[in-house]
Amino acid sequence: MPADAWAVQLAVGGCSHPDTSRGLDLSKQSQDPLPRGQMAGHSLSRIDDTLLVREAQRGNRAAFEELVRHYDQAVLRLAMHLTGSEHEAQDIYQDAFLKAYKSVGNFRFECSFYTWIYRIVTNLCLDHLRKKQVRKEDAPVAVDAQGEAYDVLSQVPDVRAGANPERDLMRRELGTRINHALDKLTPRERMVFELKHYQGLKLRTVGEILNTTEETAKNTLFRATQKLRGSLADMR
Amino acid sequence: MKCEWVHENILLHIYNELPDDARYELEQHVARCTDCAAELKAARHLHATLSQFPVQEPSPNLVTASRMRLQEELETTEQGGFWQRLVFDPGAWLRPIKLAPALAAAIFIVGFAGGIGATYQVMNGRNPVDLSSPTPTESSITGIQSISQEPGSSQISIRYNTVSTQEAQGSLNDQRIQQLLLFATRNNYNSGVRMDSVDLLTQTPNDTRVREALLYALRYDSNPGVRLKAIEGLGSYVKNDVRVRDAVLEALVNDSNPGLRTQALHLLEPVRADSSVRRVLQKLAENDQNLYIRSQAQNVLSQMSEID
Repeated sequence: MPADAWAVQLAVGGCSHPDTSRGLDLSKQSQDPLPRGQMAGHSLSRIDDTLLVREAQRGNRAAFEELVRHYDQAVLRLAMHLTGSEHEAQDIYQDAFLKAYKSVGNFRFECSFYTWIYRIVTNLCLDHLRKKQVRKEDAPVAVDAQGEAYDVLSQVPDVRAGANPERDLMRRELGTRINHALDKLTPRERMVFELKHYQGLKLRTVGEILNTTEETAKNTLFRATQKLRGSLADMR
Repeated sequence: MKCEWVHENILLHIYNELPDDARYELEQHVARCTDCAAELKAARHLHATLSQFPVQEPSPNLVTASRMRLQEELETTEQGGFWQRLVFDPGAWLRPIKLAPALAAAIFIVGFAGGIGATYQVMNGRNPVDLSSPTPTESSITGIQSISQEPGSSQISIRYNTVSTQEAQGSLNDQRIQQLLLFATRNNYNSGVRMDSVDLLTQTPNDTRVREALLYALRYDSNPGVRLKAIEGLGSYVKNDVRVRDAVLEALVNDSNPGLRTQALHLLEPVRADSSVRRVLQKLAENDQNLYIRSQAQNVLSQMSEID
């Protein structure tokens, strides 16, 4: 683990599937929204994880904290994008890693630690999305750590040359429309779409994380995309 | 039929999940079929539109705050061990027993024999605890009264309470003395005693238990003097131990004592090229409330360009 690891872009490794082991492909950055979210796993981090998990199972808290550092930025990124709230993302982070700490002794290396921790996180996020659907909340604003509401999109600096207020306004409106369209998906469709489109995972990995097959994940993605296409049909 | 297949697979094509031969087939078809070409264009447009909903990276402050909150909770959280597995996953331990009657019988016999042995011990009034042992167990210590070191000598005297006050003497290398010092750093209400114990422990920071205790004191001790002693003891490890570096960074960002933050800033100077340190320094240089810290952070950052 390099000394400056906690601040660098997280290469979420430790996945045991060859199709997820490709690194960051910057050439596709214009097409894929977030290639950085792809798992740039490599054998070294896999070995690291295995050793750390074994140490954590022996009760070594420092080893567990090291594991947390491997994955926590990816966990926060996913939870923040799904919940739209730093505060709720922090709660999911806390619950996920505490759950992992309590049950790391039961981890049997039947899948990678990466898949396991993501399973815990996605289950918590799915619970959150289900509760949100029940509450019928569709406010386009998010809530920060201090409990104050803010527009998610207004937090993204527009660094493009020649950016102007009119274009900025259009961008925000577009973001709000997309947010509404995503809210219309079922929690499972939203999750599959999030993991595939925004986090850049392979469908096989998405299936493993959600305890289903690649084919089912593909069908769910297909359904989600059709719905989004219907919701955003009038947009050019 | 062909168009139907293309429509089903356009999504996989856009996400680069089609095998090479299928991709080639799809591209060939789209080049000839205007309907499918329009479908591909529409799917790409939707993909591009949805990609405009940005995924934000968590800020360093959020990551640090989340880690600290988790660390605090972990301090008081027990790992689910054998009993939890027994309760929540009975299948896991029943399975081998079910499949191996001999093992089940052996466990039964051992358990039965153990039970008889224990009963025999109790009936004979034998106490399993060796009271003559001078080593105090943590659970029997109620508090440390005082710590003193004779000038020019390696002998340390520690007065501690169990049921009645006791005194232990020995050198810093003595296991019993170390155990009491480690206990004092975490559990004593008297900050003077905590200060003395941290001060003595800084003489042997190579011991991982000692380093853990110093990290604990730096993060959680309520007395700034104790935290200052701890950070001094950890100073030489900032370069090589990531955990020490993170703790010093946390102190720099969050500690309430300006003196300690200044000390942390100086300790981090040799590792200012580290990206995590750099980010924190940039943040402090921009908007720290303490003018001195802000200027010092700017100063350290300005020196960086001369090196990098």
